[in-house]
Amino acid sequence: MEERQYDLIFICRPDTPEAEIDKVIATLEHVAAEKGGKVESVNKWGRKRMAYRVRKLREGYFVYMVIRSSHGEVVKELERRLKVADPVIKYLTVRLDEELKRQEKLKRHRERRAARRPRKTPAPAPSMPGTTDQAAAPPTAPAV
Amino acid sequence: MAEENAAQHQSHGPSSGGPRPSGPGGGRPGGPAKRGKRNFVRKKKVCRFCVDKADFIDYKKAEILAPFIQERGKILPRRMTGTCARHQRWLTVAIKRAQNIALLPFAAEL
Repeated sequence: MEERQYDLIFICRPDTPEAEIDKVIATLEHVAAEKGGKVESVNKWGRKRMAYRVRKLREGYFVYMVIRSSHGEVVKELERRLKVADPVIKYLTVRLDEELKRQEKLKRHRERRAARRPRKTPAPAPSMPGTTDQAAAPPTAPAV
Repeated sequence: MAEENAAQHQSHGPSSGGPRPSGPGGGRPGGPAKRGKRNFVRKKKVCRFCVDKADFIDYKKAEILAPFIQERGKILPRRMTGTCARHQRWLTVAIKRAQNIALLPFAAEL
């Protein structure tokens, strides 16, 4: 089976010490490895204001991870861990590989079109002077 | 004869604001002939994502999505923003994801 890519974002309580957050990340990496996936990148966004209140909190510590796996089992286990993790107040997993694939496809399509365009543009160019000549003719006619 | 020739010349030429010399809109050649009572000019809105040639709308960039929601948190319709159908489809998904992870509000707070 082809490899899937997931985005995993989780939000911790803003008052959690950094060490605690690192511990959560470490466990998640461990779990992912155990289930046959791998954490591709971890990006701490840090303390951010949330758009609405979650568990009576207005701020949260955002952590963004990219996970690769060949099956969905990993996500199930990761979400279970996040659910029971104490500092975590919210999380979201999004499967992205299909959208990225579509993006790639559209990009290739666009590049192909861009490569073709230079040959296409000279064709209408010669016809342009002809039309301008015709446009120039009628104003002269009433004058004569 | 001369008159006929002139008329023919004019009719053969590209439609430059109608065949009649007294017709309005001579300043804009090739422009659509305006008809009817209500011919107010509405500025054509262009899809912002098409301008940027976006192949993907990232739900993580809340600042990009923010202009497409109302103060109350509703997603703005296409007719308001001028977004094309395809990008609106992607945009809605992105906004909904962003709402789920508290990057965008579901509704304005009291």
